Amino acid sequence: MNPRLPAPYGSLINRDAPLDFSFERKSYQGFAGDSIASALAANRHWLLSRSFKYHRPRGALTMAGQDANTMVQLPSNPNALADRELISHKLDVMGQNYSGSLRTDRGALLGLFSRFLPVGFYYKAFFKPRGIWEKWAPLIRKKAGLGVIDQQLQPDYYDKQYKFFDVVVVGAGPAGMQAALESAVEGCEVLLVDENPILGGSLNYTRFDAEGVRGRQLREQLTKKIAANSNITCMTDAVCNAWFADNWLPIIRHKRLYKVRAKQTILCTGALEQQAVFHNNDLPGVMMSSAAQRLIHLYAVRPGQAAVIVTGNNDGYANALDLLDAGVEVKVIVDLREAPSQSAMIDAVVARGIRIETGYAVYEAQKARNHLSAVQIRKITSPGICADSGEVISCDLLCMAVGYTPTYQLVCQAGGQLSYDDDSAIFTLSNCPAVMQIAGSVNSHWDLDACLAEASRAAIIATNALGLSHTEEPAQIARESVSPNHPWPIFAHSGGKEFVDYDEDLTIADIINATRDGYEHIQLVKRYSTCGMGPSQGRHSALAAARLVAAATNRTVAKTGVTTARPPFAPEHLGHSAGRSFYPARRSNMHYRHLEAGAQMLQAGAWYRPAFYGSANNSQQCINQEVSNVRNNVGLVDVSTLGGIEVRGADAAEFLNRFYTFGFVKQPVGKARYALLTNEGGVVIDDGVACRFSDDHYYVTATTGGVDRVYQSMLKWNAQWRLDIDIANVTSAYCGVNIAGPRARQVLAKLCTDVDLSAESFPYMGVRQGTVSGIAARLIRVGFVGELGYEIHVPQHCGEALWDALMEAGQEQGIRPFGIEAQRVLRLEKGHIIIGQDTDAMSNPMEVQMGWAVSRKKPFFVGGRTISELEKKRQLRSLVGFVINDPRAPIPKESHLVLEGEQMTGRVTSCNYSPTLQKPIGLAYVNLENTQPGSRIIIKSTGGVRITAEVVPLPFYDPDALRQEL
Amino acid sequence: MSSITPTQVTRRSQLYRRHSELGAEFEENNGLILVKAYGSETELAQAKELGLADLSTLPRTGFKGAGAPDWVTAQGVTLPRQPNTCAVQSDAGLVAKLSYQELLVLSDLNATSSMIEKLNQCSVGEQTYALPRADSHCWLAVTGSQAAEMFSKICAVDLRAHKFANAEVAQTSVAKANSIVIRHDLGSTQCFYILTDVSATEFLWDCLLDAMAEYQGKPVGIEALRALV
Amino acid sequence: MKILTCPLNGPRNISEFTYGGEHHSMPDPNTTDSRAWAEHVFFHDNAAGIVTEWWCHSASSFWFLAERNTITDEVIRTFEASEIYNQRIDFVAASTVEGS
Repeated sequence: MNPRLPAPYGSLINRDAPLDFSFERKSYQGFAGDSIASALAANRHWLLSRSFKYHRPRGALTMAGQDANTMVQLPSNPNALADRELISHKLDVMGQNYSGSLRTDRGALLGLFSRFLPVGFYYKAFFKPRGIWEKWAPLIRKKAGLGVIDQQLQPDYYDKQYKFFDVVVVGAGPAGMQAALESAVEGCEVLLVDENPILGGSLNYTRFDAEGVRGRQLREQLTKKIAANSNITCMTDAVCNAWFADNWLPIIRHKRLYKVRAKQTILCTGALEQQAVFHNNDLPGVMMSSAAQRLIHLYAVRPGQAAVIVTGNNDGYANALDLLDAGVEVKVIVDLREAPSQSAMIDAVVARGIRIETGYAVYEAQKARNHLSAVQIRKITSPGICADSGEVISCDLLCMAVGYTPTYQLVCQAGGQLSYDDDSAIFTLSNCPAVMQIAGSVNSHWDLDACLAEASRAAIIATNALGLSHTEEPAQIARESVSPNHPWPIFAHSGGKEFVDYDEDLTIADIINATRDGYEHIQLVKRYSTCGMGPSQGRHSALAAARLVAAATNRTVAKTGVTTARPPFAPEHLGHSAGRSFYPARRSNMHYRHLEAGAQMLQAGAWYRPAFYGSANNSQQCINQEVSNVRNNVGLVDVSTLGGIEVRGADAAEFLNRFYTFGFVKQPVGKARYALLTNEGGVVIDDGVACRFSDDHYYVTATTGGVDRVYQSMLKWNAQWRLDIDIANVTSAYCGVNIAGPRARQVLAKLCTDVDLSAESFPYMGVRQGTVSGIAARLIRVGFVGELGYEIHVPQHCGEALWDALMEAGQEQGIRPFGIEAQRVLRLEKGHIIIGQDTDAMSNPMEVQMGWAVSRKKPFFVGGRTISELEKKRQLRSLVGFVINDPRAPIPKESHLVLEGEQMTGRVTSCNYSPTLQKPIGLAYVNLENTQPGSRIIIKSTGGVRITAEVVPLPFYDPDALRQEL
Repeated sequence: MSSITPTQVTRRSQLYRRHSELGAEFEENNGLILVKAYGSETELAQAKELGLADLSTLPRTGFKGAGAPDWVTAQGVTLPRQPNTCAVQSDAGLVAKLSYQELLVLSDLNATSSMIEKLNQCSVGEQTYALPRADSHCWLAVTGSQAAEMFSKICAVDLRAHKFANAEVAQTSVAKANSIVIRHDLGSTQCFYILTDVSATEFLWDCLLDAMAEYQGKPVGIEALRALV
Repeated sequence: MKILTCPLNGPRNISEFTYGGEHHSMPDPNTTDSRAWAEHVFFHDNAAGIVTEWWCHSASSFWFLAERNTITDEVIRTFEASEIYNQRIDFVAASTVEGS
């Protein structure tokens, strides 16, 4: 390791904690607090990556994690930013996007063919002839993307947390620190967020005065005050990655995503330094002036030996002083301006005898061994045009100080408008929502005192708006008339390679050609050229691209605008979106009994339900046995997931009459009635049974997946009708089983002695209340599976006890539990539809043969008017039953098509092998010509095989319903 | 080891297997079986820091309807004034007002409150409808100085002490499960009752333990909670 | 994430709510013509400007109405449904009333 600069240089590193790490399999040493890039720079290693398209050598550009040049491969993830990611003991870092080695990348040959890879290459090259894309795709896919994903990696634990603050200040530079302090009035909870490891922002590395003392002094002052203020919470190493409605701020810190709600947001996000555009401006050794200053001040690393500075403002001179102080030779300051304004900073540079060339540009950078070796400077003859020849100056560092763009991303996400003045090259932001203030260089204030004053003002506005202060609002702070932004730091070169967008390897010609190809709008230029679509999202290309497009289309930059900056601001790990999330799984009270009985569980919506009992390798046999046992003995199925809604009150019957399709007003107490629900469009959306326990008390069941919607819908209707009822969703309050099979009564009779279970006194579709094994129960005689059966609903906490009692009582009768797979087969044999499986978003009652469940005599029901309209029209399809008689035919699955010739005329909705009928049976939508029993329909079954099925009357099993009414 | 097991009665918490796995010692109180303690000697201190207790087998009930407020008042219940607040009763029970027409009645930690049984026994008044709250919802308690901080990982409502006062109620989403959160401090220790759809009990319990791990939160028995009062 | 203020539960993240569609009055199903009925069921105003919408606070199943500016996505106010629906609604059959 080369010696570092002495303290106080190196505010981020701990010189007492050296760390070994490797890059490209070679060992290096750095200090704790070093980023990968700074530690490598300290070892005079500058090459970090290869560019995406031409595989050009790239090094640090911003040293702020704002560019894609520094993307490296870590064992845990690709595309880590080497200037943001800290080194750790034995960290194994590799370069990306090369073939061979990072130093000698064979992919760099692509650069030689760059003129054959014009802008819009993909659109042009693969459009014609038809089919050519298929040939190219594998090659392109191989080249596309960066880095490697370790597919064996065990993901880390990422999670989320909510936070609440009165004021959130984003950016802890001078303006942010001042805004936080001024906001921290009594009763105001303030959060100060910064992406860097320490507070201070530019105060940590920018030279604000010729002596170079003001920044550090101010930082110490503000930091002390903040530390002493208990109202301020600081979050460093934390990126506020977006602005969402009502000040909802996603802040990412390490492996946690904070969802922060602020009442007021003050954005002090600063500005991003921009590059000059010239030939080979992407070489390692060419960097932003602020990057060189970060290396010096934050990491105590000398950014080079011999430097040239190209500048369009006075910050380039401050940069020169910093370099000189750090022992870097400054060969020349190339000032794009003909006549720089007077300043103490320039005087100081002059006093130190540094060569200054005004009205000059860096025309090209030259390369040796993957690094900058010299620059050629030329006199500027008119904006963007240089003299025919110039002077070559050898150097290994070129610092660019030609201007800034405000870090406007969050402001614009909040609806703020970015404007640009073509004469002064100053950006302004306006139209911020009332809950957002901005201050500092994001608002084009460059003078330190102006920044502080404006930050105070923003804070006063914010706390006044919150009612936490009543301070007179200070007057607006005037902006300096001189902008640090040079209006045209762009110099085309005969050899091209003047990079506008480093991520996507786009040059001046690419942007101009995009406009010549007819894409003149900046948004179209972006999509056609991919400018700004890379990992750094246009942070360093938006302004240059806008200027070029403006010039090429004879518009102002103000008119041309920049592309939308959508969230996220910085790349985020997938873990933050895919990490810990909540899917409330629901379990019945009998859940563990199923597991103990060997059930294979599946998740139906949120619920765990037993699919079948037995080995997964043996599923069909298990299901068939469960079916047979219900048909011949008695089975027990957990129906706790079924929805249950209490409708109580004087208008209970009237309400159901309006809500469901059937008539309920005359329904006798002690009876259940099928309840079919349609929406206003007449589409079948749910079903269940309505059990009338007394004149003013109904207990209505609903489907497992539909009950929450049904309940909400009931409430919404009654919010309008205002009937005298109460509606309560008691789904979870009741556990239920269906005991079904010819021996069901025998079993139940052992446990239920207070209800007369005889067919005469408790017939099919009867409901009773009694006790089962001493547990208060609601008994409903239903026939979903087509056998004598009782649904028994008991309070939730009794589920396990009920299950145990029935299983024990039924032993003698051969009782066995059955799962939902068997239940599906049983109900299909009986021809019962499942809403959502056998219906779709268009199914009306007539199509699914449920016309009988629609009352035409009621004054009103939801969907009624639409159904009567539908009945006037010709029906288009019908759900019918079919059997497959050919034992060799592959069994169709749900959604397999019903065909007539090549024409699709319907589809299968349910199909299973029926152990009872010993052949496959199913339901399908067919056109009306094929509804007659005996019709043959063609189904395109598994493997594309066309099979013949025979339409049969429903139900398949027990058509006279003798068994369920036993 | 005590010989009391949760399965000796019909009213079992959905979590009794998890309690047994954690080595819980159960207590029986008037036919109600609760986790007395998990055997740690520092359970009281744990409850002051961050504890999670299962109160699901304690009595509770609910009433709803236009006549409900008047009817429960006639039965001697002191109603909270505002919706989404609760009021401690003279018999130590707790009544939360969930809307102008909906009430939730919770027992005290010793199940000595007689109000719930009384309300459940007598026939309800006009336009008053009983809700089976003891079956529809589980009842957990999160206690301790870290409770609000822990909640901020799973609940979007600001439950910090100075923002969510004692006796406030929030009907909201906890770990994406609809829940009723009630702040009911035990002595000087912050305590939040959570009532969530009973079918999601295990899910919620597991989520809470996961969220608590960072703050060394652990399950605590009812003995520790009683000791806080 | 937007904040929506529930008249019962106060300001909450909008993820706690279910959208219930535009609010508009149902025409008399027994007298309105087919066209008007079809428009009621299938057409939405989708107006650019201030609209009234149904929202339901999921955790408390509380339905209410919100006035929202669809251009700015600003919620102007939320209010209880009883402000509009303050009396019982009854339906009478077009021709004969069912004698029940």
